Amino acid sequence: MSWALGVAADHPVLLVAVPLLFAALCPIWAMWKRSACFPWAMAGMSVTAFLAWSLIGDVSPRRALTYNLSGWRPPWGIQIRIDYVGLLMVCIITAVGLLIVLYSWRYVEHDLKPERVPYYYTLLLLIMTAMIGFSVTGDLFNMFVMMEIFSITSYALVAISGMKEAVRAAFKYLLMGATSSLTVLLAIAFLYSATGSLNMLDISLQLKSTSYVQVAAVALILFVVGFSVKAALFPVHVWLPDAHSIAPSPVSALLSALVIKMGIIGLFRVFFTVYGPGFAARSGTWNGVIDVVSWLAVASILVGAALAIIQRDFKVMIAYSSIVHIGYILLGLTVLSGNGTVGGLFDILAHAMGKGCFFMVAGIMIYKGNRRQIHELRGVGRTMPVTAWAFTIAALSIVGIPPTAGFMAKFYILWGCIQRGKYHFVVLALIGSLLTAVYCFRVVYYMFFTGARRPDARLDEGPVTMYAPAALLAAGTVFFGIFANLLIPSLTAAARLVLAR
Amino acid sequence: MNFSRMFHNLNYVVSVLLFLIGLYAVTVKPNLIKKLIGLNIMETSVFLFIVSIGMVESGQAPIVTEGVKTSQMVNPIPQALILTGIVVAVSTTAVALSLCLRLHERYGTLNSDEILASITDVSQLGRPWEEF
Repeated sequence: MSWALGVAADHPVLLVAVPLLFAALCPIWAMWKRSACFPWAMAGMSVTAFLAWSLIGDVSPRRALTYNLSGWRPPWGIQIRIDYVGLLMVCIITAVGLLIVLYSWRYVEHDLKPERVPYYYTLLLLIMTAMIGFSVTGDLFNMFVMMEIFSITSYALVAISGMKEAVRAAFKYLLMGATSSLTVLLAIAFLYSATGSLNMLDISLQLKSTSYVQVAAVALILFVVGFSVKAALFPVHVWLPDAHSIAPSPVSALLSALVIKMGIIGLFRVFFTVYGPGFAARSGTWNGVIDVVSWLAVASILVGAALAIIQRDFKVMIAYSSIVHIGYILLGLTVLSGNGTVGGLFDILAHAMGKGCFFMVAGIMIYKGNRRQIHELRGVGRTMPVTAWAFTIAALSIVGIPPTAGFMAKFYILWGCIQRGKYHFVVLALIGSLLTAVYCFRVVYYMFFTGARRPDARLDEGPVTMYAPAALLAAGTVFFGIFANLLIPSLTAAARLVLAR
Repeated sequence: MNFSRMFHNLNYVVSVLLFLIGLYAVTVKPNLIKKLIGLNIMETSVFLFIVSIGMVESGQAPIVTEGVKTSQMVNPIPQALILTGIVVAVSTTAVALSLCLRLHERYGTLNSDEILASITDVSQLGRPWEEF
């Protein structure tokens, strides 16, 4: 057992290689027996999660694990570099991913044609691989490849049910996603022509002395445009409500909790690892872009919350709520204060748990009685108490009420805004929180304070593999709200390093 | 405006122009296949640009042989990059075309305006306060 603990620290590439191997072998298992795919995916995710969590002691804000693929040293070869933020993302991906695979089991049996189930688990393992690879890579082009893998898999996962609306939403997502990927690729090409390097740390060194400042500035703008689409920031969010609401619920949970966070991690890497505040001294573009993104983030909060309030469809409402939280996270990251960055990173965790729980609850409502509209949730608090309470606790976190993780995240984001004297952002973000409370507690109101017109005895709690993951995620929001100090000191150190570069 | 400098960096100008032509097709053309062709034009523009960065006057293949100086070799990395890029582009196009096939099966048309017009469900934008 002890050798297994060290193996990931010696070979961080296993974090990407293991789920990829499991994904590649999944169709072969399906040839033998279709029902073997779920245990196989579960085993794959468990091994990956074990490898990821065994790294927790080895990585600190000041110490990153590196691995050079094929032994080529950094400026030339591809380097896997697990820094503190990367490890945080990998831990969130594997933990939420494990619960989503467990949740998928009964849901896809019910929702998908049997011959599509093997494809589903293959794509699920592949998207996990790509997201982990995206979070831990130190190479820009490798990042692009990983981004394309998780993008293409997510188009396929949105369309996997084959419904009319799903195919349309997937195509819309594909057009916007592929365009944004090409924007990122053009940015990488510009940056490569300016610096002659693809390694992020090497590029950030080169940018301090390059004479092609304008090319790098244009590349920065292209990066921001591209990753904003992936993250569903306000003016380019239009693909998200369609794709997230029509996809099968575990896929919605995956897309909302993890995949849109990849756009944020992309922006984070570009802003702070590749360019860094050091670039601000060379070109005004960096500060300008950061300002624009923080205003767009506030616009996301307000527009997303306003649109969520007017929805009748439960999943569409949750999808708009994701846009709100993308706004909060990016507001925290672009306010350029240590506490703001801590809050933004912490909100990635809080939102992954809260929104994962939301979509799982929405999935249970569809699984039991095909209830998609909010007013159909009357009396759920009495017939399905665990599910309803999981939703309520996650809603507390999404709104930002103590003692939940969402409160800590928003507290730090707003504290960061106050430290930088941006009181207008504080006011607008608090208005967004009030609107969030309106649309979240409207559902809670229907669940607990209205009786069902015709109580239906068959609509009891769903299978335990469906409500247990939702309840675990809700419990997680409370756990990280109370024990936030497990992460806050390290995040503060990481934020200080990031902002000083 | 310094045109000689622009001419010197023609690869930047041409690739951005091609990129914009592709973007025009993706956003404006109603036919889904034409949108995909636009997407492929955008891809090609980026690939052409990446290849052009690695260009060396009278360059040689980057294989260590007698009589070839390393300064004459072309940069192999851009070519490796677009090779990967082409694979990615082909897979995107394949997924997109299969989605087009399904769309044509389900809606009977590939015109995005007609597909949008066939959606009659406006109940999603309702007035939820009526239900209290």
